[in-house]
Amino acid sequence: MPIDLKKARTIGFILSGSGIALVLMVHWMVMDWVPTEAVQGVVQRIFYIHPPAAWTTFLAVGISALASLAYLWLEDERADAAAVAAAEGSLIFGAILLTSGPLWGRIAWGTFWQPEPRLTLTLLLWFIMLGYFLVRGSVDDPRKARRYAAIVPILGALDIPFIHLSVEWFRSLHPQAVVLKPEGPTADPDMVVTLLTSFGGFTLLFLGLFTLRYAVELGDRWAQNLPSPSTSQPSGVAA
Amino acid sequence: MKSLTDAVLIASKDLRIEFRTGGRLVAMAAFVVLAAFLFSFAFDRALVDGRSLGAGLVWLTVVFSSTVGVGRTFHLEDEDGAFRHLLLTPASRTSVFLGKGLANLVLVWITSALVFGTIVVFFGIRSPGPLLAHAAVLLPGSVGLVALLTLFSRVSSHSRLGDTLLPVLTFPLLLPLVFFGSTASARLFLGRPWAEVSGPVRILWAFALVSAVGSALLFSQVAED
Repeated sequence: MPIDLKKARTIGFILSGSGIALVLMVHWMVMDWVPTEAVQGVVQRIFYIHPPAAWTTFLAVGISALASLAYLWLEDERADAAAVAAAEGSLIFGAILLTSGPLWGRIAWGTFWQPEPRLTLTLLLWFIMLGYFLVRGSVDDPRKARRYAAIVPILGALDIPFIHLSVEWFRSLHPQAVVLKPEGPTADPDMVVTLLTSFGGFTLLFLGLFTLRYAVELGDRWAQNLPSPSTSQPSGVAA
Repeated sequence: MKSLTDAVLIASKDLRIEFRTGGRLVAMAAFVVLAAFLFSFAFDRALVDGRSLGAGLVWLTVVFSSTVGVGRTFHLEDEDGAFRHLLLTPASRTSVFLGKGLANLVLVWITSALVFGTIVVFFGIRSPGPLLAHAAVLLPGSVGLVALLTLFSRVSSHSRLGDTLLPVLTFPLLLPLVFFGSTASARLFLGRPWAEVSGPVRILWAFALVSAVGSALLFSQVAED
């Protein structure tokens, strides 16, 4: 089925706009509305940014891995474009995650960085996604570059279970979940609402940026008329 | 069964070439001894316990030396076009991967034994623990290590960045291996019972299985010239 790039761009703008509006609202809620946590104080407010950034990073890595798998299987340009768009998202939201975490750690732990399994492996996951772009940029044949790069997020995604395993194993310093628990949230309801709004805002923002980048990537390939494995024009693209 | 026979044939061909020329093995062995020698000067053994430090250094040296050696897996055959001919044989891509991996595994085992010996000697570890137990820890670690390095050495051999790319792609994936491998080896060096070592070893086996199966399945995507 052909992709309507104009429609994709419109959807992308709507999703990003909604995401930005929600993220701005979260900033107001964090500064003026939500109560201050009794034990950690003001620094706990970073948590309204940090876990949503973590969620979107892992979502982006997951989408990139699935799209890469689809590309290796079907050799469809659209899957590769989706993998690129999601991989870029994982780098952006991963950078937010890896900046907000140490800022909180400086106050809570007294240091910017701890050799803590979840932090460490998240940083490594970020480097894995960086490796994806290094492979794409350093292999001359575009078709080969896409295939070689596709294996990187797939193996990166396989690393994610080991992140959780190492947390369990090493009795991590990392704070445990207070909202997403089987027995239900234990935090103040206002805090839960703020956090869930942030989750929604980050997810919409990521999906919006992902859709826009996807449309740009496909449009770029169409404009360059890159050879496709099956046809002389990228498959499934409509201007 | 035929896949395994093909893999063994490819591995024995690679090992014959390796033992005749000795290029990679000699480089890896020299790297190991020199790295251990430098490590022995880098740490003040009056301040740190050689046994707990030694375990981490064994694993880091194994990872670094394997990256140096396994990273050259395809260079020789790519230079004279022999790898293209290998792909034209009836052997499946999986057999080619298994064969290359098997040959690399033998090289990594030889150098790992050397790593263990040199670290024990240079760090003055008097009772390193049962050798068989150390081998049982190293076995799953080396399988996971070789699987990922063999797959990505194919990618790096086609990249403009060359051998520089290999550590960037593999080191992030190898962290669980270094994590659990060092933990298990340190416990053995400290004379702890096997019951305290078996947990990390089970995770190493899970890592080896995921890495080996994932790499074998993905190899066909990067095999073609």
